[in-house]
Amino acid sequence: MLRDKRQEYLVALMLVGPFVLIYGALFVWPTIQMAMLSFTKAPLIGTGDWVGWDNYVKILSHKLFHQAFWNTAYFVLLTVIPNTLISLVIALAVNRLKGPVQGFVLACFFLPYILPVSVVFLTWNWIIDVQYGLVQGFVALFNGGKPISLTRTIPLFMPTVAFVTIWWTMGFNILLFIAGLRNISPEIYEAASLDSAGRWRQFQRITWPLIWPVTALVLTIQLIAQLKIFDQVYLFSIGGRQDATITLVQYVYKLAFQQNKGGEAATAAMLLFGMIIILSVLQYQLLRARGEK
Amino acid sequence: MRLSLKRLALVSTALMALTHAAAAQQTVVWWDFLAGGDGVRMKALIDGFNKEHEGEIQIQGTTLEWGTPFYTKLQTSSAIGEGPDIATYHLSRIPLAVNSGTLSEVTDEDMAGAGISDADFTQAASDAGKVDGTRYAVPFDQHGLILYYNKDMLAEAGLIGDDGLPKGLNGLENFNKILADFTKDGKYGISTPTGDRYRTIYSLFGQQGGTMFDEAAGGFFPTDEDLTKLTNAIDVVKGWVDSGYTPVQVESPAALALFTSGQSPFFIMGNWEVPTMVDLHAKGELFEWGAVELPTLFENKAAWSDSHAFVIPANSGKEVDADKRAAVMKVIAWMDQHSLDWAGAGHIPAFNAVRESAEFQALKPQSDYAGFADTAVFDPRTILAGPAAPLGDAWSNFINPATTGEIEPADAAAQMRDDLNGQL
Repeated sequence: MLRDKRQEYLVALMLVGPFVLIYGALFVWPTIQMAMLSFTKAPLIGTGDWVGWDNYVKILSHKLFHQAFWNTAYFVLLTVIPNTLISLVIALAVNRLKGPVQGFVLACFFLPYILPVSVVFLTWNWIIDVQYGLVQGFVALFNGGKPISLTRTIPLFMPTVAFVTIWWTMGFNILLFIAGLRNISPEIYEAASLDSAGRWRQFQRITWPLIWPVTALVLTIQLIAQLKIFDQVYLFSIGGRQDATITLVQYVYKLAFQQNKGGEAATAAMLLFGMIIILSVLQYQLLRARGEK
Repeated sequence: MRLSLKRLALVSTALMALTHAAAAQQTVVWWDFLAGGDGVRMKALIDGFNKEHEGEIQIQGTTLEWGTPFYTKLQTSSAIGEGPDIATYHLSRIPLAVNSGTLSEVTDEDMAGAGISDADFTQAASDAGKVDGTRYAVPFDQHGLILYYNKDMLAEAGLIGDDGLPKGLNGLENFNKILADFTKDGKYGISTPTGDRYRTIYSLFGQQGGTMFDEAAGGFFPTDEDLTKLTNAIDVVKGWVDSGYTPVQVESPAALALFTSGQSPFFIMGNWEVPTMVDLHAKGELFEWGAVELPTLFENKAAWSDSHAFVIPANSGKEVDADKRAAVMKVIAWMDQHSLDWAGAGHIPAFNAVRESAEFQALKPQSDYAGFADTAVFDPRTILAGPAAPLGDAWSNFINPATTGEIEPADAAAQMRDDLNGQL
């Protein structure tokens, strides 16, 4: 018996070993190094003197860090829940279609997701261009007949980028929801119909509780992805007031690559790392607790 | 299976033989950031070099995104020995590059080996390539902000002189009056892309004789007078926006289109758009056009300017190969000696022999605006200067938004000073 168990451990180790090694070398070790770096006054490349907690004190009191924090929080607010809700509504609608029509519609919604961010940026940049953009005709209605730049007018920047992000990424969420919806047995709906439950009641009492694990998953994936937002915000703000719309990852980028401050950039990255861990664990626990109730 | 293995072996032997034959020839890996109309000219120059040096030296060129993407990639790749053999660089950014250890020294012997020396360039240009007397860059051109004009529209308004060039544009009130007259029926008096307005403002700051940086006097905009001059310059451009002479928000490609579609008689831009106009005109898609120096709206002539130069990345950890370096220097010298073609891209050659040649003097409109080089205002010599550097960030964060009314001009000027001095 004992021998068997030992052998099992050995097999398990052999199977898990390669992954653990690669994970350790390519993720855990660099993360530890980054944590060490955050206590030094290092430039982007090379080593620096040990400065203890100085960088943390400095970054936490830096005005631009606060700006980046609130901008990121605002972006999360604008995308995470709206994206999840819109995806669920579209998934419910698509789920009612049948056969090839469903496949076609699903493909249409999924198509933007496979585009690289540069293509998404260029496409939308022309659509919203202030002189020649397609949407300016519509936007002008709300601005006294005059076109207005959606990415250079600071209060409109985050909502615009959030809209483009939702358009771009909802395809994947829809796919997850469709998978979840297909897992709900049709018999439950049949039984509910026999008991003369209406559509809204069916959604409330059957679909929503049964799809909840998927919703919790989508929300968590979204939260992590949007906390790490960089690409779209960076691209749309090039040539504009980047400091006014800066996000946390962009702040790390600016410190490291534009100001040559490796130590401070590592500090900002550690703070973001901490925030993501705390928030996502909290959110997942909260959502799970709700689901089990 | 066996057959295909055999075939594989054959193919790989053949490939190895091929690479062996090519080893006698030096490959120079080249990075630049020239993606506009001038990039096409640069590719032609590279092709010309490669054709002339077949079997000897071949340039392998790559064009990367201008600005931060280019400069960060060059810095990081150079630090681990994976950088190119040669790269284009802005002279304004040399102090920062040297500070971050990106560049390798270009010695007098290197220069002599390729048959060039400091005397081939203006004193100002060769000095700008040095830090504390050590040379890190070989100048290639000087470029700056110029005024493009629509000859047909100006002639109609009686603004073309007997020499065929625009007349009577100087003086702030006078110039504003001209812009006002053109602004009607959905047309704009002048096209200035929002993200580029800082160059106009820096030029107007220079026209008032302002000092941007003086280390001994306390850093950026050392006196209140300098700050007032910056505010005045912002007020001019903001005035154009407020009066509707130019759109509030306009991206560079759209601003170019405003001019080329005849919606605006003037366009303030760097000289790198010259080839775009030349090409459009050659296709019969553009009106009669020209380019001259910026009008003098304050006391002196002045225009924002910078220089492209060639640098050799430090590539730390990689052994210096003398043959490779000689080949790189040969490329640099050849490019400078053939920079008349580069002048076709709108730039003013840094190489004296080319700039002073009759061929360059005959180039139009280049020779109409070449005068800006004498009264140019450069970025100050500090590690904060240059594109993709804190100075560039400060322009976009404080000064451009001041032209659109997002920040009060005087506040913007003060915020820019404080931001930059805080980073010294």
